[in-house]
Amino acid sequence: MSFETVLASIFSAAFIASVLRVSTPIILAALGGLLSELAGVINIALEGIMLGAAFAGVMVSAFAPQWFPGLPVWVFPWIGVLAGIITGIILAWLLAFFHLELGADIILAALGINILAAGGTVFLMYSITGDKGSTSTLASPAIPNIVIPFVNNIPFVGTLLNAENLTGYNVFTYVALIMTVLITIFLYKMPLGAHLRAVGENPDAAASVGINVKRVRYYALLASGVLAALGGLNLSMGYLTIFQANMTAGRGFIALAVIYLGNRNPIGTVIAALIFGAATSLGAQLGTLSVPPQLIEMIPPAVTVIALVIYNLRKRAQIVANARKFQERAEKA
Amino acid sequence: MPDGSAFYSTRQTDLIVKSKRKRFLLEFLRIILVVLIALGIGFIITLFVSDEPVAAFKALLTGPLPKISFEGGFHIKGINRFGNWMEESITLILLGLAVSIVFKAKQFSLGADGQLILGALAAGVVALYVDAPLPIHIGLALVAAMVAGFLWGLIPGILKAYIDVDEIVSTLMLNVIAIQFYQLVLVQWLRDPTAGFIGTPFFPKTAILPLVIPGTRVTIALFIMLASVFVVWFLMERTTFGYEIKVIGANRKFAEYGGVNTKRVIALSMAVSGIFAGLAGVHLSMGLLKRLTLNMSPGIGFEGIVVALLARNNPIGVLIAGLFYGYLRTGAQIMERSSDVTREVVLIIQAIIILLITAERLFPLFQEWWLRRKLSAELDSNVPEEEAAR
Amino acid sequence: MRDITKIYPNGVVANDDVNFSVERGEIRALVGENGAGKSTLMKILYGLESFTSGAIYLDGQRVDISSPHKAIDLGIGMVHQNFMLVPSFTIAQNVVLGSEPRKGSFMDADAAIRITESLAKEYGLEVEATARIDATPVGMRQRVEILKTLYRGADLLILDEPTAVLTPQETDDLFEAVRRLVNQGKTVIFITHKLVEVKEISDTVTVMRHGKVTGNVATKDVSEVDIARMMVGRDVFLQVDKAPQQRGKAKARVEHLGYISETGRPMLRDVSFNVYEGEILGIAGVEGNGQTELVEVMSGLKPATTGEIYVGDRQVARKNARQVRRAGVGHIPEDRLTNGVALEATIAENLVVDRYYRPPIAHASIMSPRVIRSQSEALMAEFDIRAAGYDAPMDSLSGGNMQKVVLAREFSADPALLIAAQPTRGVDIGASEFIHNQLLAKRDDGKAILLVSADLSEVMNLSDRIAVMYKGKITGVFQNSPDLTEEELGFYMLGIKEQTPEEMAQNM
Repeated sequence: MSFETVLASIFSAAFIASVLRVSTPIILAALGGLLSELAGVINIALEGIMLGAAFAGVMVSAFAPQWFPGLPVWVFPWIGVLAGIITGIILAWLLAFFHLELGADIILAALGINILAAGGTVFLMYSITGDKGSTSTLASPAIPNIVIPFVNNIPFVGTLLNAENLTGYNVFTYVALIMTVLITIFLYKMPLGAHLRAVGENPDAAASVGINVKRVRYYALLASGVLAALGGLNLSMGYLTIFQANMTAGRGFIALAVIYLGNRNPIGTVIAALIFGAATSLGAQLGTLSVPPQLIEMIPPAVTVIALVIYNLRKRAQIVANARKFQERAEKA
Repeated sequence: MPDGSAFYSTRQTDLIVKSKRKRFLLEFLRIILVVLIALGIGFIITLFVSDEPVAAFKALLTGPLPKISFEGGFHIKGINRFGNWMEESITLILLGLAVSIVFKAKQFSLGADGQLILGALAAGVVALYVDAPLPIHIGLALVAAMVAGFLWGLIPGILKAYIDVDEIVSTLMLNVIAIQFYQLVLVQWLRDPTAGFIGTPFFPKTAILPLVIPGTRVTIALFIMLASVFVVWFLMERTTFGYEIKVIGANRKFAEYGGVNTKRVIALSMAVSGIFAGLAGVHLSMGLLKRLTLNMSPGIGFEGIVVALLARNNPIGVLIAGLFYGYLRTGAQIMERSSDVTREVVLIIQAIIILLITAERLFPLFQEWWLRRKLSAELDSNVPEEEAAR
Repeated sequence: MRDITKIYPNGVVANDDVNFSVERGEIRALVGENGAGKSTLMKILYGLESFTSGAIYLDGQRVDISSPHKAIDLGIGMVHQNFMLVPSFTIAQNVVLGSEPRKGSFMDADAAIRITESLAKEYGLEVEATARIDATPVGMRQRVEILKTLYRGADLLILDEPTAVLTPQETDDLFEAVRRLVNQGKTVIFITHKLVEVKEISDTVTVMRHGKVTGNVATKDVSEVDIARMMVGRDVFLQVDKAPQQRGKAKARVEHLGYISETGRPMLRDVSFNVYEGEILGIAGVEGNGQTELVEVMSGLKPATTGEIYVGDRQVARKNARQVRRAGVGHIPEDRLTNGVALEATIAENLVVDRYYRPPIAHASIMSPRVIRSQSEALMAEFDIRAAGYDAPMDSLSGGNMQKVVLAREFSADPALLIAAQPTRGVDIGASEFIHNQLLAKRDDGKAILLVSADLSEVMNLSDRIAVMYKGKITGVFQNSPDLTEEELGFYMLGIKEQTPEEMAQNM
């Protein structure tokens, strides 16, 4: 493949479609992480929550036909999704409880949750299926794609709206996009959203006007559990229809970085997630051009670190400038 | 400080344990209790999934011990299991030392993973491309790994100390970069094209750590580990640098008031921590695998955290906790081979340990509950109004 | 508030049987030095602290105020000393935070702005409703705080040292606003320790000292000096025997020192003085007039904006804490829990923080545990520090013993210049006597001592010379003699009198 064809493929609708697909789980988890981050409780357990939910979704949806015979077939994957979300809530609640009630350091407790999820999923998978690597012996259903009608015959637009094979995007991709909008509205237009940001920025101020800081932080962590669970479910019930050991492969940590790279707001977070997604897709594309994919995959984390450095340097310059301004004013007076 | 004067904390003084020894003992008991609770929960979980839970747990708890047999003369069986225990423990202790140094300075560096992998890479490059006689070759590789770990820790250290970049995010990102870089170098330049998988050729004899216990993979990494424990202990207890780390961790403002250059010490603490993670990389590559492979150590860097936590960041504690945790991990592998329970049960136990140890208010809460029960039993008729209303 | 007593769990009595009442529509000043119990009393009234015994009545009804929420419901509002604002929110958002006007499930941003503007207009508290807090000056932030309480329907406003962070112009604006509030039927409690302000703004004044009320008077009936006497009191007047002074040469020279805070307020203006060997120079002044900053700049914790400091021959302005200490400066800090000790460390670790890196403790970066132990144990014996051992954790000590750890370290460093900031604050009588004797012994030993204290009798008892600070400037320097009266110093402390440079030079 020549350089031109690679270039062409990057600026194609198919590339955009693949970026969207790759980014979806990261967007979902990052939005969750954003909510807890803004409430002043950083959630490093996104990784573990994604993993736990991905596992629960596959297992429950695979066994649902045995447990609930007689239900229509289309219901089973959604029972799996429900189970995944509940798993996410339980893990997030565990984190919230240990941090908010028992005074556990939130970072260490979250690492505990991650280990619990990593160990627990494999442990249960082996105990139930006898396989440690994946659930390939189980027939687990998929969450369907949504195909937008009437556009498939339009070049570019068809691929853009319904992905490469014109089979549509997964429901989770649409959920991710809708969530972005909803969370933006929630954070900036609704009272509870304002309380959440106030709690994160100045908990004393929030408490002094009667906002229950602990309760808001509970809400934020539980919400982050739900969103991270959706991200995990996307991996095991949308992207693939199988659970593999450690299938999140660090996406939860990437989601965390994405929040900072996105300047801690929903739109920025989604854009940053798309950048990470693009790097992954690009890596795959350029692999054919003997540009090593690892090189491309190093870019987003490097950009994140550099962005933090620039941001902090600018903040510092501003403080110095302010001090100088004050000083000049004081000297005049 | 508001009214009430700067000198009095509002804490319940009678609950404060005064002597250092007594405090140490309580802490020790607390950790033992946590471990026992976690093991107990692990056993209960095993009950649910196993047909032979007792046998499985017995394998977990006694598996790594070599069996001495006098039948037909004295000989030791299962030395390889003991070897596995030591191999695991060496990695865990080196990583635990690395984590304990940064934690002591109250820095949340999670960068051990990246430092380990770059340490292994640096050692691997020296092993493959430098030609030198035995002790020198190994020495050069060790130095290369230590330098790599040091530098990869220095970056987030400088960013934290001087520009206030959050070390959690920066170290997590640097881990990703390190792992991608490692794979890049391996795939592009170091891989052995004749091998069926992505990995380097075996290292030359001069770059493989000499064996210490025959029949195992326990090499002189054992001595490197023991020396590291001593070095970290000496560093923390006997040097000005260790003193500075401790004082910064205890109260950074106090350290500044006393004239400590806190920024420099914070940056260096993260870098020095990297040295020991780098040595863990040497143990994995030049000791255990004798080559570099693509997925050498998935996430092992985080395991150092539980060791440091159990050890309360004390180097001698790290030695004990690392041996304990290595024992559990080895026992789990034996259990997996000899029963129907997977070794991941140990991860669950580990998670419970982390959660319970970090839950600072758990034991005081328990203590308070217990005291109140005792009190209310004694003063049954004399319950304060508020309490009664509840 | 009737018979309020507040005892902290560690036995500190913050409020001792305090009776405090305020009439509707008045401005009541509540004054007292730091630690007198006034903030605790107001926190109890606002539901932030519980009390040990007593009762609170509002309009004759006994009320239960167990949380700020209840206080708000009862029409009590408090403006805290450190503002309780969300920096990234606009002023209007901050005003309505917690009880936002709504349109369906959404916040009504326009209504918030309208409400803020109309409240601002009604009470003459001019703010820019759509500006973000982090882009607003301090004076406006304070008006936002007041608007917050008004929006929540407060009739009784507690202002906790509201002028501490304001410029004179902003202070004038605030006073005008407070008067307008009272004219519209509100009641204001004004916590301060600036007596000028008491005279200027209040109708009545309550004075507290050592957790007790020492005076309840109509402001117009008393002078500032009277109030000052009630604040400082005479019951702690300890006569100390001072040896005749053997004054040596100038050990420390402070020349034209200026310091501007990070928020741009000039805290020190052209401060110059010498401290001589064998002398205690006392810095007197009402708190918040630059003494804290003077100490921080002189000990290397903050960089001087302008001017020079010499200790011996060494220029130490803008040098870091270690360099300043190496030049022979010891420092007993004002806020000892923040700066002076590390609670998580051991006693020994606390004792050596200024000397751990050099012989005899360390040689080539290697520390000798034996020397640390022997030095620590010697110091513990000499200063009577009661603890389980030299390696006992600092937080196992009582407050008095923590204090002694700081003293032991700073005295034993044998500094050429010792800066003692509020050295006896929070210490019982016996311990203060010990500290005073130690300071005098150092003086007789030929050391230079800078004593900064809000306790005027302490300054007058110990000092050989006294410099008075007011608004970051030295307003007078005096030779201490029996002729020098508290009243006279009071005039300088309050900025009523100021020496000419020539007068000051006489006593330099």
